[in-house]
Amino acid sequence: MMKIRQILPILLLTTVSALQAQEDEWEKWGPTDKQSKVGVLLRAGYTIGGTTPLPLPEEIRSIKEFSPKGGATVGVDAYKMFSRRWGASIGWHFFYEGFHTVAEVKNYKMSLTMEGNTMSGYFTGTDVTNNSMWGMTIPLLATFRMSPRWNVSMGPYASVFITRKFDGRVYDNSKGVGYLRVDDPTGEKVNIDRENPATYDFDENMRTWNYGIELAFDWKALRHMNVFGKIDWGLRNVWPENFDAVDFRMYPIYATVGLAYRY
Amino acid sequence: MNKYAKLLPLVSVALLSGCIQDEPMNAECDIEYASVSVENPTDIFYHDYDTLQTISTVTDSIGFLVRRTAQVGMLPLTLQATEGARVLIVDGNEEVPFVNGTPLDFSNEQKHRFKVVSQDGGWSRTYEVKVVRDSNFDYDHMYMTFDFEQYSLESGNKYYVWKETDPIATGYWIGNDPMWKNGNPGYKLSVSSAKPEDYPSAPIAGGGPDGSDCVKLVTRDTGAFGRMVNYRLASGSMFIGEFDVANALKDALAATLFGVPFKHRPTRISGWFRYIPGPHFQNRDGVILPDSIDQPDFYAVMYRNQDAEGHEVRLNGADILINPHIVAMARLPHPNHGLTDEWQYVVLDMVYREELDPELLENNGYSFTVSVASSYRGGEFEGCVGNTLYVDAITVECEY
Repeated sequence: MMKIRQILPILLLTTVSALQAQEDEWEKWGPTDKQSKVGVLLRAGYTIGGTTPLPLPEEIRSIKEFSPKGGATVGVDAYKMFSRRWGASIGWHFFYEGFHTVAEVKNYKMSLTMEGNTMSGYFTGTDVTNNSMWGMTIPLLATFRMSPRWNVSMGPYASVFITRKFDGRVYDNSKGVGYLRVDDPTGEKVNIDRENPATYDFDENMRTWNYGIELAFDWKALRHMNVFGKIDWGLRNVWPENFDAVDFRMYPIYATVGLAYRY
Repeated sequence: MNKYAKLLPLVSVALLSGCIQDEPMNAECDIEYASVSVENPTDIFYHDYDTLQTISTVTDSIGFLVRRTAQVGMLPLTLQATEGARVLIVDGNEEVPFVNGTPLDFSNEQKHRFKVVSQDGGWSRTYEVKVVRDSNFDYDHMYMTFDFEQYSLESGNKYYVWKETDPIATGYWIGNDPMWKNGNPGYKLSVSSAKPEDYPSAPIAGGGPDGSDCVKLVTRDTGAFGRMVNYRLASGSMFIGEFDVANALKDALAATLFGVPFKHRPTRISGWFRYIPGPHFQNRDGVILPDSIDQPDFYAVMYRNQDAEGHEVRLNGADILINPHIVAMARLPHPNHGLTDEWQYVVLDMVYREELDPELLENNGYSFTVSVASSYRGGEFEGCVGNTLYVDAITVECEY
């Protein structure tokens, strides 16, 4: 018992000082402006991802190649902390994102309309897709400080695509099989091979804006610098509902990692 | 860092591949090959290879041509369908699974009906299989006249098709498939919105020199889809043979298969023509070449349809005028064809490079074609869009 009586004050003392230190940490890594608790973040990062159907439809048999194209985000976020743990931010980001993929497909329903003429049917073979867009995103996020140095933010965003590219070509697969069944699987078979591929271009068909959910993690590495990672998950089909060249809905899903200057 | 950057696409592929679902079942239900087995094929067929046929996806009638004198009874039939598809033999209202190799009674040109159901059960097609007895070939000095009076819209109502009714031609040459062939099925793929009369090959009611119906062949622009595959124009055409739409995009020249076996000696072809040239000659890339002129074409070719090793020879758009198996040919002269906007009668003699071998002739060893086109280099996708050739009353004269 004597021992406990002697240890207790020491224990209490250390706990209090630990809490004190913890409080200093929250203060130290908090907003630079201690009065208004308002600040800005200047972000720059590398962006990777793709525009994809979810889940991948069974018509897609294998992905032979996938590579991100370029991919960069720069932008600014303004934030305000309302309490020690909770805050909000609004941003304005410019991005360039895209991908290149080579996929083997089977009975992939497609319909192309060009100059008022339509070619539709079921394609089996290789489909090469190139997609890229320049645009800007406005995220509106709620921020939660998990710890003095770790923030997680989440909220809706809206994007506008300033330029859009979505094109590609179809030809035979690795077994030399590439054909379209015109209109339906009993229609005439039209062979297409890599010597004379059929190309397509849906730039104009892509929707000009999108919305989704952004989830971001920030780690305060230095007094004025964050390391961050975020994912923008598009929730709006990139194709208008009446667009039937691509038989499934596709969503842009892009992740960014980078550095931010924090004030 | 660079090493890891290179790994990124690989990792992405691996991640995405994890999301690949099970392969969907086949939706197609074609008979791809049909064969009959007999001990000595040439007893009843002309060639060994006549017992095995590759079936085009646009065909639903399969015919095995046999010699006129052949005794045909029960023949074991094998049908190779799309992987996973079920083949049923249809007897009245009954559909029974068909076992390959089952002998079927083909005597008296009896037809057998089949239904093929796709692996996924969603699609089906019906086929008819029969044996066709070849026609008599003893005939002295015969004429065939093609007036192009029998035409109708094809089943999809997209374009016109012409059926030949001349009794000599259908009785002794193209009885199995009395349809004129042209590039219309290919044009349909690229210009789906075209009206039937705006296809490269179309009929003109009452447009002939004698007031009967004639054919109007026009070299047409193939629009955005044509540019997509770098086939920017389509020549109007009519020919005897086969248009293999499966290869219309892959290899357009090879898709035009000329000729049908012929057991006679053609000596002369003739026809009525009226020609209006289009304004600008364009090359394959669509570049206008001011110094080049387009021309119409009209020719007939007789060729040996088997090589020295006994393999089948079928001339196509690439070699119909140059293949060494050609034995006789008649062709409109180029460039001085002499055709104008006025109807004109043209007669051309068949020029023989070697005399016909009577035994080969009797055994279906020669094939013959007659062909007309609005652009003579249309197969290479060069010519004048708008080139127009009116055609009527083509005749073929044979010595025997």
